[in-house]
Amino acid sequence: MIVPFDILILIFLVVAAVISLCVKDLLAATMVFGAYGFLICLLWATMGAVDVAFTEATVGAGVSTVLFVATILNTRRKSTD
Amino acid sequence: MNAKLSATFAVVFTGAVLLYAVSDFPDFGDPRSPANHGVSGGAPSASVYYIKNAYHDTSVPNLVTAILADYRGYDTLFETVVIFTAGMAIFAILRVLRRDDSGIPAAPDPAIDGDHHRIVVGVTCRIAVPLVQIFALYVVAHGHHSPGGGFQGGVMLGASFILIALSTSLRHALGRLSETSFIRLACLGILIYAGFAFLPLVVGRNFLDYGALRALFGTDGEEMARSHGIFVVEIGIALTVTSVMFAIFANLSSRGRLHGGL
Amino acid sequence: MILTIASIALIVAGLVFFLGAAVGLTRFPDFYCRTHAAGKGDTLSSLLVISGFALYQLGEVHDLSHGWPVLLVFLKLLAVIFFISLTSPTSTSTLADAGWEDGIDPTIEPGRENHLQEDCGKRRS
Repeated sequence: MIVPFDILILIFLVVAAVISLCVKDLLAATMVFGAYGFLICLLWATMGAVDVAFTEATVGAGVSTVLFVATILNTRRKSTD
Repeated sequence: MNAKLSATFAVVFTGAVLLYAVSDFPDFGDPRSPANHGVSGGAPSASVYYIKNAYHDTSVPNLVTAILADYRGYDTLFETVVIFTAGMAIFAILRVLRRDDSGIPAAPDPAIDGDHHRIVVGVTCRIAVPLVQIFALYVVAHGHHSPGGGFQGGVMLGASFILIALSTSLRHALGRLSETSFIRLACLGILIYAGFAFLPLVVGRNFLDYGALRALFGTDGEEMARSHGIFVVEIGIALTVTSVMFAIFANLSSRGRLHGGL
Repeated sequence: MILTIASIALIVAGLVFFLGAAVGLTRFPDFYCRTHAAGKGDTLSSLLVISGFALYQLGEVHDLSHGWPVLLVFLKLLAVIFFISLTSPTSTSTLADAGWEDGIDPTIEPGRENHLQEDCGKRRS
């Protein structure tokens, strides 16, 4: 665990979470959410939980982004709130 | 506006309480914390037992795999059932089984005729998909020694089928893994896990106690039998996760009609 | 020793290309130029940096009987290089094509309008 690296990841994590909540365009929000998944994966990896990091990288950043995009393309792209 | 203000207040208040609670936590990796050391005067904690005995009990070097598939076997069994249930729920909600031709596009599928960028993507995916699948099988089989296991390998295997569907067309991907076969594979995965967990009951041992299957695997000690048992269980998990991931994608991207796709 | 110096040179060259890609990403005028800078610079610099790592790992192998785990790392890095060189240009090409289909117009240099109009009319239907 490297403390400055951790602080950097945590800052980016909060920024990505806030952006993915605030953006009106749901496709952009999905992309930012994928970046959030990769950042959390990095955080697990620095904590030494490589198995969890692997799961997060495949499920959180990989497949769930594709599923979100598939859903958005079949519904509406703009968020109303 | 008022709702937004109160929502912000609720979130900030919850965050502040959580942050306040964090100050009472033990340090990261503290050897004397209750989770690592046990309560003073009480029994030693479970993690000490796992760290000391996991390799001796199961001869699996990766502690996470040993705990996930052996000590916490019930947990993982029902996690797999949860994933299976998610797939079945998607099937029940989205799948349109009656025949209606309204959703079929009248024009020929634009994904099939050769637009030039489709050729670039298609060739790349044709090279990449076998590599991804080989790596996924490696992750499933090598979960004993390195990070990985049934969940991760299964997701990667499902993602390779999703890649086929994205780069060519959903129909082409369904030609590789049809609907009947992925539903059968999902059920087969659960059946492998649960049925294999029932086998030790035959010789009078506990549910999920793979050590009793020494004679079946032909190994010397119970440790190697547990190791092989973990491998069989991981294959079951991987089958379920693969087919459920692809099922969810196929139903979501085609609105449950399983033709057309994205 | 030679391998270490070569790996240092490769990594530094890769970092220089990363800098070029970042500068191009912020300074270029339109979407296609920026995609070009990001895609090309990113691919080349990743390849250079990872091949620098691979050469450094190769320098650790002294005899094959004991050094095979390190050699395995070298082979894995080569596999990573192959995969990046396969997927990164494809994703850049797909990104540019998606922008084209979405109707993003390139910045047209004065005097070249006719050529680009012909090209656009031919390709965009």
